[in-house]
Amino acid sequence: MNAILDRLAEVAADPDRYVVEWKRTHPDRKVAGVLPMNFPEELLHAAGFLPVVIQENNEPDTEGRVILAEFYCGYTRNLADQAAKGRLKIYDAFFLADHCVQLLGAADVMRFKQPHTPIFFGQFIASMSEPSTPARVRGELDHIVAEVERSTGVPLDHGRLAESIRLYNRDRALLRAVFDARREGRVHLSSKAMQNLVKSSMVMDKAEHIALLEQLLSDGIESHDPHARVRLHLSGHFCHAPKQALLELFEDCGAEIVDDDLYHGRRYITTDVREDLEPVAALSQWYFDRNVNVPCPTRVQHNADWDTYLTKAVSESGADGVVILMAKFCEPHMLLYPELRKALEAREIPYLLVETEHAGLPMETLRTRVEALVERISRRAAVAAS
Amino acid sequence: MTTQTGSTVTRMQTTRAGGQMIADYWDNIFTARERGKHVVWYNGSALNPIFQAAGLEWCHGEAFSARLAAQHLEGPAQLAGAEYGYINELCSYSRTHLGCAVLSNGGGPAPGSETGVVDALDQQELASKLPKPDFFVNAYSGCSTGQQWDEMTYRVFGRSIPIFNVSIPFLWGNRPDSTYMAGQEWDEATDYVVGQLRELVTFIEAQTGRPFDWDALSESMSYIRRASELRLEGMALCERKPTPATYWDWVASIAHINFLPGDQALVDYFASVRDEIQARVDAGVPALENERYRLYFDGIMNWNKLGWLAKRFAEYDAAVIAGRYTHSSFWQEPQLIDPEDPLRGMAQHYLLCPINHSLKTLNYLTLRDCERFEIDGLVFHSTRTCRAFTNPQTMLASTAREHLGIPAMFFEGDVADASFYKDDILESRLVAMLESIDVRRAKAGV
Repeated sequence: MNAILDRLAEVAADPDRYVVEWKRTHPDRKVAGVLPMNFPEELLHAAGFLPVVIQENNEPDTEGRVILAEFYCGYTRNLADQAAKGRLKIYDAFFLADHCVQLLGAADVMRFKQPHTPIFFGQFIASMSEPSTPARVRGELDHIVAEVERSTGVPLDHGRLAESIRLYNRDRALLRAVFDARREGRVHLSSKAMQNLVKSSMVMDKAEHIALLEQLLSDGIESHDPHARVRLHLSGHFCHAPKQALLELFEDCGAEIVDDDLYHGRRYITTDVREDLEPVAALSQWYFDRNVNVPCPTRVQHNADWDTYLTKAVSESGADGVVILMAKFCEPHMLLYPELRKALEAREIPYLLVETEHAGLPMETLRTRVEALVERISRRAAVAAS
Repeated sequence: MTTQTGSTVTRMQTTRAGGQMIADYWDNIFTARERGKHVVWYNGSALNPIFQAAGLEWCHGEAFSARLAAQHLEGPAQLAGAEYGYINELCSYSRTHLGCAVLSNGGGPAPGSETGVVDALDQQELASKLPKPDFFVNAYSGCSTGQQWDEMTYRVFGRSIPIFNVSIPFLWGNRPDSTYMAGQEWDEATDYVVGQLRELVTFIEAQTGRPFDWDALSESMSYIRRASELRLEGMALCERKPTPATYWDWVASIAHINFLPGDQALVDYFASVRDEIQARVDAGVPALENERYRLYFDGIMNWNKLGWLAKRFAEYDAAVIAGRYTHSSFWQEPQLIDPEDPLRGMAQHYLLCPINHSLKTLNYLTLRDCERFEIDGLVFHSTRTCRAFTNPQTMLASTAREHLGIPAMFFEGDVADASFYKDDILESRLVAMLESIDVRRAKAGV
């Protein structure tokens, strides 16, 4: 089991290395860099690409540091830095579907620094409830299909697309099995290991990832000793993964992470693409379904909201509190934060807001704050028990 | 060495008088309820001709935030927003407007409470003067935050007020034929927005219970088209050296072209602006006493510092002539407007918002205007809480240097939060850029 987790951790730690190695062993294939969070990777997989969700790397931002202003989120500034350093040249094309003004800023830097690599923006309209939105999203998917066909020179095989959808659904189902087991207390993997499961899925060839997950589940997951004082839900952190040092800090402070709605967590894996629909229509439907399953503040939808989801998730997992992980300068998260706060306070769920950046997290300051949260929850439990 | 000469801007009489039109407009909004009018709150694109034709009173959220900031009255609204939970790195337009929503909805500090803001409760009265809306319409171009912001306003009011979203596609330029106002992407986006505007009209009819007056829309748009033509004629006169009017004069006229009613008064206002500039040209009266530098301003306005910035640049004989916010916005392509069938031209202007383009088009627009106005240097307002406007600035500076050989400077400020403005940085960087221009001129023997 450790060998499998180690392999997934290795890929998660250095996605570029995996991509370079994959290209070496697949000289006739292309790699597509995908920007988060809603682009349907299945389309690219069916066309023969290796789709890779481009990850924030661990290098300090240097050459690209000043291309985007300092008040952009850590992920977009790091993307600009990767582009400036030529790190993104391992990709043959880029695709994105999310209209985030900061993400588009980074995409503009990518096009500026790498002008000969196609970067296709098929904008999925964010207002989910307007009557015109489904047709528009479907139209954008058709444009994406046309771009993929232009890139490969062959028509997209819808039978292969259906196969890719089944493959991706399988991977999501396996990941969900682990996440559900954690929520139900049947396994106790560290939050770092849980992140590696998802992050590696965003990078690896899906068949290879599935094989590793199947082996992992077949062998049985050994758990660490669950002697945590409190159980926490991690919430937020779109587009990029929270630093693993931060995840370790939560556990060092006596918390066990029992569930999350992180993009590098449940948000990425919750929704399957329907296999009973025509494949492109199913991808369109998936876009709408996933915002119902785990609502996102980057979307606007009146009958689905994240605060309701969050309090329900906390209730289901039995978490004692919530850590809201906010990538600093993430505007949709900043806008929704007061609503999250209201919902948690109304249910007397303790919470802590932690803002993150690409570098320079004040770990010892954070440690004190996390310890205070753990202490607060512990005392409350003690009072309730007395 | 670049020195301060204490040059001053000769402010236009017309724009000074035009301030009263804006004050009257807001006073009218404040009394909308007493007059039994339906009120719509909206953000983003200039949908006001549609609201005007529907017999509504319209309140543009960003405009109200900008007005509060320009009058230095934004404090209580921002305080109410902060108490509600909005973090100060969030778009200050939205923080201010959401704070107004909190206050309009009965939130905020109680009379007699300590707020830490001098005259807070008097100012709060103004911020809370906005009448509650009957419905919201959002039509934000370029900036993804805009749509999310109104969704939060909807929630602040308890999800009880109807809202309609018009989604404006971002003009990314996927295809080789994608250029400014041309290409398949432009045509498809136009069709999509036109379709949504028709749905908006249906929504408004349902809200008001009245059939929409298409003739009134045509009439309003014919006035707006004419006002826009006059505005552009005035701008064209500023190609002259020295310039007869500055960017700051055009900033003073943004409210008029952006949200005042499309009527004869609007046309008369811009005819007066154009005529005053023409009169200056005829009389040889420059906007600055001693214009030595011609600058281009990129960035959204720093409303807290509008007058201050105008003086700051003038002190160094730097005439700010044109800018992305003024010259690439606000019905700037009037030939697209067909008053007999106005929706298409309206949709296209919503798409032409200067934050709705990728770098490729912004490079085109910036170089075009720098060449047209014979610009010596670019000033970038790195707007702390407006990522949409700040997005491409360093790359625009690189392009201008590469293609036109002109220098750039950056200063940090904000649309509506004065705490982000640092005057010493502005001054030192301005002086450095002007010296760089002097050196280039000396080398060229100019």
